[in-house]
Amino acid sequence: MDITEPLKQTANDFEERLQPLIEESTEKLTSLHHQLTTYIRANPGKCLLGAMAAGYFIGRIARRK
Amino acid sequence: METDDATSPAYKRQCHSGIGADDPITVGQRLDRICSAAGVALKGSRDVVSEVRDLLDIDGRVNRNPYAMIAAAAGSGYVLGGGLFSPLTVRVLNLSLRVGLRLVAASPLIQCKLRGFAEAACENGDGSGSPNHESQRSKEMKQGSCYDKPEGSETHR
Repeated sequence: MDITEPLKQTANDFEERLQPLIEESTEKLTSLHHQLTTYIRANPGKCLLGAMAAGYFIGRIARRK
Repeated sequence: METDDATSPAYKRQCHSGIGADDPITVGQRLDRICSAAGVALKGSRDVVSEVRDLLDIDGRVNRNPYAMIAAAAGSGYVLGGGLFSPLTVRVLNLSLRVGLRLVAASPLIQCKLRGFAEAACENGDGSGSPNHESQRSKEMKQGSCYDKPEGSETHR
């Protein structure tokens, strides 16, 4: 029992420290996802062409190697 | 009419904008013709692009699955760039196969389900279908007894 109490306390401390960080990063990721999908839906042609160009260049680089 | 015949001097005069039948085309006129031809070609290509866009419903697909469409475009560009038969592709495929197989092999839930399917397939193949036997089997499968079931256990009638 004596060994587990400090471990429990440490685990609780970690949880208290990490929880706000996890929530903040979840919020940031959600907002980034929303921004990205909004931009892609607003400019589908540009995004598709840009992705195709990026894939083309990566393919060329991969072919050389 | 005289102007309809392409070889007639009047027609040539008309083509040369009334300057004269024997005067050569000026640089400005040549440029005008090139620009008008380019404009026609550009308009035609825009029409083709918009038709293809409507046919494939690209806007709708991007609205429904934006990331998938971006990934598909990047993949098409990768293939066009000649990266399909490159060492990088082989490495990526190897890695994804290894990771996928390990996930499937290590996941106990998937093992349990696969075992259940295999047993059901064997049951159906053997035709060993007494009602009690089947109901007990189906109960065991529902309860997820892959871990609890001891080895060599048989159902008793």
